[in-house]
Amino acid sequence: MQAVFFLNSDISPKARQEIEKKLAASATVKKFHYVSPEEAAARFKDKFPELSRVVDSLGFNPFPPSIEVTFSKKSLSSAQVEKLLSTIQSIPGVEEVQYNLEWVDRVQAFGRLITAIGFFLGGILILASFFIISNVIKLNVLSRKDEIDILRLVGASNFFIRVPFVLEGMTLGLIGGLASLLLLFLTIQLLPLYVGTSLGALTELIRFRYLTSSQSLLLVASGIFIGFLGSLSSVSRLLREE
Amino acid sequence: MIELYRIWKQYQKPHWALSDITFKAEPGDFWFVTGPSGSGKTTLLKIIYREIRPTSGQIIINGRNILRIPDHKIYQLRRRMGIVFQDFKLLFHKKVFDNVAVVLQVLGVAQKEIRRRVFQALRMVNLHHKMWEYPSQLSYGEQQRVAIARAVVNQPQIILADEPTGNLDPELAFEIMSLFKEINSQGATVIICTHDRELIRHFGEKILFLYKGKILRKEIL
Ligand SMILES: Nc1ncnc2c1ncn2[C@@H]1O[C@H](COP(=O)(O)OP(=O)(O)OP(=O)(O)O)[C@@H](O)[C@H]1O
Ligand SMILES: [Mg+2]
Repeated sequence: MQAVFFLNSDISPKARQEIEKKLAASATVKKFHYVSPEEAAARFKDKFPELSRVVDSLGFNPFPPSIEVTFSKKSLSSAQVEKLLSTIQSIPGVEEVQYNLEWVDRVQAFGRLITAIGFFLGGILILASFFIISNVIKLNVLSRKDEIDILRLVGASNFFIRVPFVLEGMTLGLIGGLASLLLLFLTIQLLPLYVGTSLGALTELIRFRYLTSSQSLLLVASGIFIGFLGSLSSVSRLLREE
Repeated sequence: MIELYRIWKQYQKPHWALSDITFKAEPGDFWFVTGPSGSGKTTLLKIIYREIRPTSGQIIINGRNILRIPDHKIYQLRRRMGIVFQDFKLLFHKKVFDNVAVVLQVLGVAQKEIRRRVFQALRMVNLHHKMWEYPSQLSYGEQQRVAIARAVVNQPQIILADEPTGNLDPELAFEIMSLFKEINSQGATVIICTHDRELIRHFGEKILFLYKGKILRKEIL
C-alpha cells in the first residue's frame, strides 16, 4: 500500500522537513522517499519510452516533486492512515495526495485491451479471407465441373484434379499477403499526412511501425497457407459430393 | 474378366432401365451389345465403369467387386479401361493433342513418351494432321475419332465403346472396327454398343441383344 504526496515546486524546505518529520514519527509508515522532479522525469521516460521525446520537447520539467510513502501492511486502510494523510495534506505546499496507484495498472490494461482487439480483428480477417478464397475456388470448381467429371472418367486421381485449384488458392493467398503489405506501407506513409499534427502527443502513443522482414515474411506465408487450406477444403468438399 | 450378376437398374419408378442382367466377358472377348434406342446399352456400360451404381446386383472385374471400391480409388479401375463415350466427353478448351494426352498425363508418363504415343494414336484414327486444333473446329465424326484415340492411347485391358462409329461413314467405321479388333487380338476385352447391323454382321463374334432393359438373347458365332 502506497501513497504519494505531490508537492508544490516552490515548497519551503521547512514545510518539507515538517512532512518528513511527521512521516518518520508515524507508526503506520514503513518507509518514505523524496522524489525530485528530475527523478520523476527519468522514471517516466523509463516507463514510457515512446513518450520520452514528448517530455524532452516540452523544454521544461512538468513533474512536481513528490514524496512516496509505503505503509506497513497491518495498517492497511486503518483510521490512523487516514488521519495522517489528512494532517499532511493540510500542510501548505502539499498539492495532492494519491493512494493506490491503480492508474498505472489501468494504462497497462488498456494497452492489453488494444492488443486483444488487434488479435481479434486479425482473427476475423483471417477467417474472412479463408472463406473468400474457398468460395472463389468453389465457384471455379463448379464452373469447371464438366471438365472435372471428364478427368475423373479418364482416370485422374483426386490429387491430380485438386492440384491446379490448390495452386490457384495459394496464388490468391500470396497476392493477398503482398497486397496487405503494400496497404500497410501506404497507410503508414499517408496516415500521418492525412491526420496532420493535430493528434500531437497521441501520434507518439499510437505510433505505427513497419513489420520487420520476418514478420512480413510470416504475413505472406500465412496468406499462402490460408489460400492452401481454403482451396483444399472447398475442392475436397466438392469432390466428395458425387 | 468382367462379370455382371443379376444387375437391376432403376432411374425412376416404375421403369427399369436394366432388369436382371447376368453377363460375362472373358479376357480377349469381343462383344457387341445391340438393341433399340433406350434398351439400356449406355446404362450397362456406365455400370461397368461405375459412373452409376446398379439398384441391385454385383459386378466383378478381374476378381474385384467394383461396387466396393471407395470413390477416391475408382480412378484405378478407370485407368485400366479405354472408354469411348456416346457424347464423346472431350475437353473443349483443350487442343486435340491434349485431349488425348490427358490419359497419359494423369499417369505421369514422360512428356516425350506422351508426344510419341499421342501422335501414334491420332494416326491410327487418321487425325494426326489436326492435332493442334480445338475439338470445336472438328466435324462430329472427327470429334468421335479423337474420343477413340483417347480410349486406345494407353493400351487398356478393357475397351468400352458406346456407338463409336455412329457419326462415321461406312468405310471409316470399318477402319475403326479393325483398329478395335487389332487391340482385341493383343488381349484386350472389348465391348462395343452399336445399332449398326452391317458392322455386327461383319465383325460380330459374340452379340448381346437388349430389349427394354432385358437380355433378349446372346449369340455366339
Ligand atoms: N440419367 C437418367 N435418368 C433417368 N432415366 C434415364 C437416365 N439415363 C437413361 N435413362 C433411361 O434408361 C433407359 C435406358 O437408357 P440408355 O441410355 O441406357 O439407352 P441406350 O440403349 O443407350 O439408348 P441409345 O441407343 O439411344 O443410346 C431409357 O429409357 C432412358 O430413358
Ligand atoms: Mg446409349
